[in-house]
Amino acid sequence: MSTQSVTITVDGTPIEVNPDRMLLPELLDKGFSIPHFCYQESLGSDGNCRMCMVEIAGKKRPQISCDTPIVAGMEVRTRGESIEKVRRDILELELINHPVDCPICDQAGECSLQDYYMEYGLYQGKVDKKEKHHFDKHIDLGANVLHDQERCVLCQRCVRFCRDVTHTDELCVAGRGDHSYITTIPGETLHNAYAMNVTDLCPVGALTSKDFRFQQRVWFLATSPSVCHGCAKGCAIDIDHAKSKYHDDTIYRFRPRKNPEINGEFICDAGRLSYKETQTYLLRTCLAKEEILADAEALDRMKAILTEDEYPIVVLADANLYTEELAALQAFARTFHAQLYAPLEAYHDPAFGDDWLKSSQRAANAEGVKRLGIATEMPTLNDNTLVINVNHPDGHRTANRIDLLTHRPDENTERVPARLTLPIAPWVRSSGHLINEDGIEQYCEQVLRRNDPTPTLLERLAHFLDKGDDTILDNMETAL
Amino acid sequence: MIKDIRIVSRRFNLPQSHTLEVARQHGAYRSIETLTERTPEGIIAAVEASGLRGKGGGGAPTGAKWRLMEGEFDGRPKYVVVNADESEPGTFKDGHILSKDPHLLIEGILLTCYALGAHDAYIYIRGEYYERQQILQHAIDEAYEAGILGQSIMGHDYRVDLTVHRGAGAYICGEKSALLESMEGKRGHPRLKPHQKEPEWYFGNPTLINNVETIATVPFIVTEGADAYRQYGTERSPGTLLFALSGHVNRPGVYEAPFGTSLMEYIEHYGGGIRNGGTLKAVIPGGASTPVLTADEAAQARLDYESMQGLGSALGTGGMIVMDESVDMVEALKNLMAFYHHESCGQCTPCREGTGWVDAILARILAREGNRDDLKKLLDISETMNGKTVCVFAPAASSVIDAMVQKFETEFLRYLDTGGAA
Amino acid sequence: MSFTWTSAHRAELDALKERYPSPKALVLPALWKVQEQEGFLSLEGIEAVAELTGYSKAEVYGVATFYTMFHLQPQGTYTLQVCKTLSCALNGQGTILDHLKERLGIEVGETTPDGQFTLTQVECLGSCGTAPVMQVNDTLHEHLTPESVDTLLDTLSDKGGSL
Ligand SMILES: Cc1cc2nc3c(=O)[nH]c(=O)nc-3n(C[C@H](O)[C@H](O)[C@H](O)COP(=O)(O)O)c2cc1C
Ligand code: SF4
Ligand code: SF4
Ligand code: SF4
Ligand code: FES
Ligand code: FES
Repeated sequence: MSTQSVTITVDGTPIEVNPDRMLLPELLDKGFSIPHFCYQESLGSDGNCRMCMVEIAGKKRPQISCDTPIVAGMEVRTRGESIEKVRRDILELELINHPVDCPICDQAGECSLQDYYMEYGLYQGKVDKKEKHHFDKHIDLGANVLHDQERCVLCQRCVRFCRDVTHTDELCVAGRGDHSYITTIPGETLHNAYAMNVTDLCPVGALTSKDFRFQQRVWFLATSPSVCHGCAKGCAIDIDHAKSKYHDDTIYRFRPRKNPEINGEFICDAGRLSYKETQTYLLRTCLAKEEILADAEALDRMKAILTEDEYPIVVLADANLYTEELAALQAFARTFHAQLYAPLEAYHDPAFGDDWLKSSQRAANAEGVKRLGIATEMPTLNDNTLVINVNHPDGHRTANRIDLLTHRPDENTERVPARLTLPIAPWVRSSGHLINEDGIEQYCEQVLRRNDPTPTLLERLAHFLDKGDDTILDNMETAL
Repeated sequence: MIKDIRIVSRRFNLPQSHTLEVARQHGAYRSIETLTERTPEGIIAAVEASGLRGKGGGGAPTGAKWRLMEGEFDGRPKYVVVNADESEPGTFKDGHILSKDPHLLIEGILLTCYALGAHDAYIYIRGEYYERQQILQHAIDEAYEAGILGQSIMGHDYRVDLTVHRGAGAYICGEKSALLESMEGKRGHPRLKPHQKEPEWYFGNPTLINNVETIATVPFIVTEGADAYRQYGTERSPGTLLFALSGHVNRPGVYEAPFGTSLMEYIEHYGGGIRNGGTLKAVIPGGASTPVLTADEAAQARLDYESMQGLGSALGTGGMIVMDESVDMVEALKNLMAFYHHESCGQCTPCREGTGWVDAILARILAREGNRDDLKKLLDISETMNGKTVCVFAPAASSVIDAMVQKFETEFLRYLDTGGAA
Repeated sequence: MSFTWTSAHRAELDALKERYPSPKALVLPALWKVQEQEGFLSLEGIEAVAELTGYSKAEVYGVATFYTMFHLQPQGTYTLQVCKTLSCALNGQGTILDHLKERLGIEVGETTPDGQFTLTQVECLGSCGTAPVMQVNDTLHEHLTPESVDTLLDTLSDKGGSL
């Protein structure tokens, strides 16, 4: 804590708090449960929902804690008959125009409104259905964001996100009073590269992802912390996945995971949707030119080529590989007297980059490559060199080549067929470290259980390295 | 017996009173001609000593508010904004100043700007006052031409520019912070209250907001002195107010009177009594956001802040709505709640949802579909609207509901007992 | 469709800009001018205001829909705004409204088939002392009676829509 903390009393217990912040964030950090809609850590206070009321000794009326400065010695009450009644009454008002259609709402299970009214015992709607206002329930706001105006509590988080964070201002509150609603100007849509964050910010089911809608009830999902591989920013993400009977463990979505040093609480839409790439068009079989090979056969052939051919060997490594995998490739290169390169030019994408999160360096571990001292230029290659292409986007130019690929080659790109092609598992199936463009290192857990037999890169390499030789591990340690 | 006192309304009845010529013949801008005799501090001190209270409804001491404008504020410019939004039902006094003596207002603005070190002033006028705006604008144009406004006001080395800003139909924009939001080109959502005493802020610059009549009172105080103002009214509510009468009186209109005048005497003297010789049933004393008074309460009421507060109501804007015995109080409350429902800015939950729900329940009661729980429900919702919102719009609505339901409960019960689902 | 300021409006707005600490202050004045030019606020007009003030289109749209005097749809030549608040209600606004509905053959919120009259109800017009009142476009009419309303409508109809 940068400033001197002060002591206040909350529900009779003295606690130490930071007087530079408002009361609500401090109370939330200290684990008090205070209903709130409009306050949001990244967006700050707006004071419109009036849900976060607490009692302050000496104040006649309850106060909204999101706009209450902390004063040393203050006495705060968050529980008790009277303050809970205040909250219940406000919540009841919040619900009078809300459809309370949780059974068919995507947000069910992660909706603050639902949590609160269960907590405050308001389950039966107290107002006649016929008196409720009816608004549009299925509005496509663009950017995969769907809006249900009836469920909206007008906390304005979405408007404030587009105003204060992306500065694109596509959303507004229109109308007035209880006819207010959230909208874009007619005929236009959300057009910022981060728009889908509003589906996370929305505390209720009023903004949902078209991509995720009705795919899975949230309580069936398991969550694994990971890092987006969409660019060198390396945004922290949570990966929600589920394994249902007779189906593979499947990823349903990427969500931002809070990391104040990198992405705060947000990710870009491209990164968010990149989960699809981790489980589609995966390569599952080994090939020799067009011919399908069994895995063991392919490995034997690869060994044979490596040990019998006289060509000098060049390894081209994908700069998205984990540091551990890159280190293993270094050991591999040493073993076979090969030159290792991770050419970065191929990942340069100025159209992608912006001045916030999105980086024009699309390789997730470009920094890891540099730290390991791996050469980053593209060597001049011809068919007198044997190329071991480990998933590098530009690694398919010469014919004298072995491919280790996660995905089936894109049929649209002109591609010289490799002598041998072996699949390796995509990054969600393995684990390791990434170093982002600002030098921040993060660990990615293995997210998916093994769905198919495709080995990881490390498993593949193990066949070529002396089991007793712990160079790999040594290298990994120096790398980290 | 009531004696006519005219401070703000002294030129109202002159033919062509809105023109510069007539206004000047009758004393307008004397205080500006002699501006060199005064210091800014002198003007502020006089306003402070006069005990002048804001006439936009709140009755806040004007001097203290002006003092908040003192200081350097890192050299940021200071602004003066005049609140001519006048949308409180039953209130139409500021419109009289705008159309009958706009030069009095301009004179007050010049003094205020000079006292506070401001060079730019705005009048935020409600959009519906189009014709009054035309008259006001004409007066401003005349004042510019005569060198009263502009680069050097009446030859003094001091610039004041005055701009009229037209609203577009939103009662809430009369609330000072909503007004400034509106003038910043936004929706009229009131701002959160500051945590300490400070001026208002217009685009981040220190700003004073006063009501039209408040500012129009300043010339008198400056030229005649604080004591001259204090000789009228009461100790704590000094001076006069442009009270107004509407509803069931014989002569509705705007009539200036000292604070402390008996409400009934005022109705008799200026209003000519209850229309058609009827009997008084109730009075809403100070615009639609003040709690209703029964005839008995009205009989004891004096037109000052303290007396009204003592009766559990408020002086508000002094715009009285008088109701005779023919009025159905359930319908009256429904009418007022339709207004609140329509005018809530919609920003905060208790007000946005509460006003609509109250309106719906009242509609149900009037349709004889209500039940006895509805009265309790009305009071419950009212309680949730009280003291829990961003601005005092909802608390005002709440006090109006409470007073009507409590004081005229039998009328509500009559709707509930004859039919309905009780 | 597109929107261009008349040169007079453009010049007035440019002059007005000097009066304010920020061009953002021009939202309301500019929206008024769009409405004056078009009779209502088209999306193109809103866009022009956004451009002038530095707000986004959506923000200006939010503002335009907040204020009841701005119309996002074309109105009749004459918008009859009958005050419905308490002082007028106490003084016979109901009779006036019924009379208007009957004479025009339309309900509140509707426009006569010839496009002449749009009938609306509004909250207190700040003229409670002369109740009942109604505003026709920007002109206030006080102390209304069914007879005075008839005379007024006759005169307006005679003008055949020219203001
Ligand atoms: C809902 C609401 C509406 C208001 N409307 C007006 C108004 O139309 N005119 C006005 O002068 N003050 C109005 N006020 C009071 C203003 O917020 C402000 O206090 C006043 O303009 C300050 O001027 P004064 O101190 O000279 O009265 C309103 C307040 C509220 C809460
Ligand atoms: S859509 Fe969601 S985030 Fe936006 S205002 Fe409504 S409830 Fe809040
Ligand atoms: S900015 Fe880069 S790392 Fe972050 S979410 Fe987008 S693609 Fe992924
Ligand atoms: S109390 Fe009503 S008018 Fe005031 S800010 Fe809240 S919603 Fe708006
Ligand atoms: S969280 Fe405090 S008012 Fe909404
Ligand atoms: S109530 Fe109709 S003008 Fe005020």
